[in-house]
Amino acid sequence: MTRRIGTGISRRLLLAGAALAAPAIRRAHAAEPLKIGNALPLTGSQAGYGSDFLIGTKMGVTDVNAAGGIAGRTVELVALDTQAEPQLGINVANRFIGVEKLPMFYSSWSQVVKAQAPVANREKVLLINNGANSPEIATLGDYVYTAFPLAEVDVTKLARYVYTVLGKRRAAVLYINNDTGIDAAKLYRDTFTAAGGQIVVFEAYDPKATEFTGMLLKTRAANPDIVHIHGLTADTPQVIAQMRQLGLNQRVTSYSAAYNPKLLEQLGAAAEGLIVTSLAPGVKDNPKVATLLDRWKTEQGRMPNGLPYIQYQYDMIWLSKALYEYLDKKSLPATGDTLREALLTVGTFELPMTGRMVLDGHRVNKPVYLLTVEKGAFVPLATLT
Amino acid sequence: MFDPVILAQILWTGIATASPFVLLTAGFALTLKVTGLWNFAQAGLMAIAFYTMFFALNAFGLPVVAAVPLGVVVTSAAALVIEAYGLQVLRERHSGNLTFFIFTLILSEFIIYVLTLAFGTEPQTLFKSILSPVSIIGDIAVSDWDKVAVAMAATGLALLWGFMHGTREGQFLTAVADNAPLAELYGISAIRAYRVTAVIAALFIVAAMYLIGSHGGIVPNTPLELVLTAVIATLLGGIGRVFAAAAAAVFLALIQSFSILFIDSRWQNLLLYGFLFAAILLFPRGVRLIAIRR
Repeated sequence: MTRRIGTGISRRLLLAGAALAAPAIRRAHAAEPLKIGNALPLTGSQAGYGSDFLIGTKMGVTDVNAAGGIAGRTVELVALDTQAEPQLGINVANRFIGVEKLPMFYSSWSQVVKAQAPVANREKVLLINNGANSPEIATLGDYVYTAFPLAEVDVTKLARYVYTVLGKRRAAVLYINNDTGIDAAKLYRDTFTAAGGQIVVFEAYDPKATEFTGMLLKTRAANPDIVHIHGLTADTPQVIAQMRQLGLNQRVTSYSAAYNPKLLEQLGAAAEGLIVTSLAPGVKDNPKVATLLDRWKTEQGRMPNGLPYIQYQYDMIWLSKALYEYLDKKSLPATGDTLREALLTVGTFELPMTGRMVLDGHRVNKPVYLLTVEKGAFVPLATLT
Repeated sequence: MFDPVILAQILWTGIATASPFVLLTAGFALTLKVTGLWNFAQAGLMAIAFYTMFFALNAFGLPVVAAVPLGVVVTSAAALVIEAYGLQVLRERHSGNLTFFIFTLILSEFIIYVLTLAFGTEPQTLFKSILSPVSIIGDIAVSDWDKVAVAMAATGLALLWGFMHGTREGQFLTAVADNAPLAELYGISAIRAYRVTAVIAALFIVAAMYLIGSHGGIVPNTPLELVLTAVIATLLGGIGRVFAAAAAAVFLALIQSFSILFIDSRWQNLLLYGFLFAAILLFPRGVRLIAIRR
């Protein structure tokens, strides 16, 4: 009896204390910045993209802080270097979770996200992919989600477009032999074949290769109507350059990694006709993108590498704002589980640069914007919904 | 795939692609012949050569005719500093081959580390455009880069041959390579021979890095991969046989190029490692030389 009364009093006291303490905790938190983690390649062969992604994220942080921060707290970005290497990616994930005590972090590059996924699942920390496109990312576990459309979105739509609109029937698929290339190349092959086309060359190249003559001669012998290259920023221009030098003049398609001004510089006239995908609206589709681009050019004095990816990096902070504000409204602590709940419950997010994001399980679907190179510049070609 | 035009194209492109490796191998094998050292510091010199030319062309806006000589001066100076204040000090201390190996490898790693801090790790090319005009000769696509590469390799080897066989300095190098103490008895300076060798190797390195850097992207640690090819070709060619090593570099490139007829292109680089193991296990002359020196 005494125990029951005692327990009841203790519970009431605890609840009352907690209720009184909650605003105090929020006030204490208000003084502390809210840390958001982003794993990026800031050195290494992918640093050209990674460094620009970081600038995009910082722009998002500046704007969110200028708009009052997240739930009254200023945002502090914690960006760590992965060099786009899986092992370093695991180290970064451990640092975010073990040292920075973050309940959620963002990451990019397929091989890195795949390596970090077991850590995030084990520690029940939310990992949101914000730039990798391997279809396998949708199957990496309960705590791994994506804000960036996976290859099945742009690659499948592109493959269908090539067959149905461009009328190409024989395609060659050349891809880098890593997580970025392998899955996407299979998707392209399967979609193009299912549409009725024929894949006449399906060839992978070593990620460190600089000489592609043999592979390209195989392609020349097969005489395709179109060539799809699924590589990275460093190797794709070299493959196209050597292709043109060997007399292969077929139209080339690629994905968003090839939507890069440096590629135009390196290839000049050889880039004409190249078709790339973009998973974010362009300057003509969204005036905010034009403002972002003008601001970028003013601050950096140049064009960004991979504008669509940068739009996603910018929006990452606004996505975080939506998640944390959900927790604040529900008075929930920030953990991997509650943030995951917020992501799944809110489901639809209106983001300033990339538009509406609707979560579909572990995937998101978005329109695909096709661009082609005309007179040395990327120009809109079609929008695939 | 076995069309004669395709086979001829693979042959030509293989030879052109081999050209910078021929130059690197000639410099590496000459150094091994004269000094008796597997000089892995040459990877660091390759990085110095490339980034000097890259900086001169892109930061200073110098023309090629100024950037390449600047590359030669800086790389030669670096090679001489390494020779005089590194390798010669170790020789005077009668250091073992393992010490030389560790010193040259660590030195390369250090140079690459410093260059990474200075230039970052984004792939860089010497020129903004990596395209080279192409002409079709008998159905074979021949780019201007191909012609320059083959011409530079052929000229480099011819000049080296002429130097080694037609000049007293070249004959001194051979004498020091054969027996340094005996050569010194005849008044030939081994130290001078080592320094001349360092400068010749630097010239070959600059030429090779110009070709590689104008054809594709380079990151600071690319030279560590390039030196691997030079090591394998040197082993295959035979220790002390500079021109045979250069021929082995062509052989390796052709094997890699023609392998595409039988294997997937992703496996091409694996062949190099196969040759490395085969050269070490089946061509023991180099290994025996190291054992004797120990």
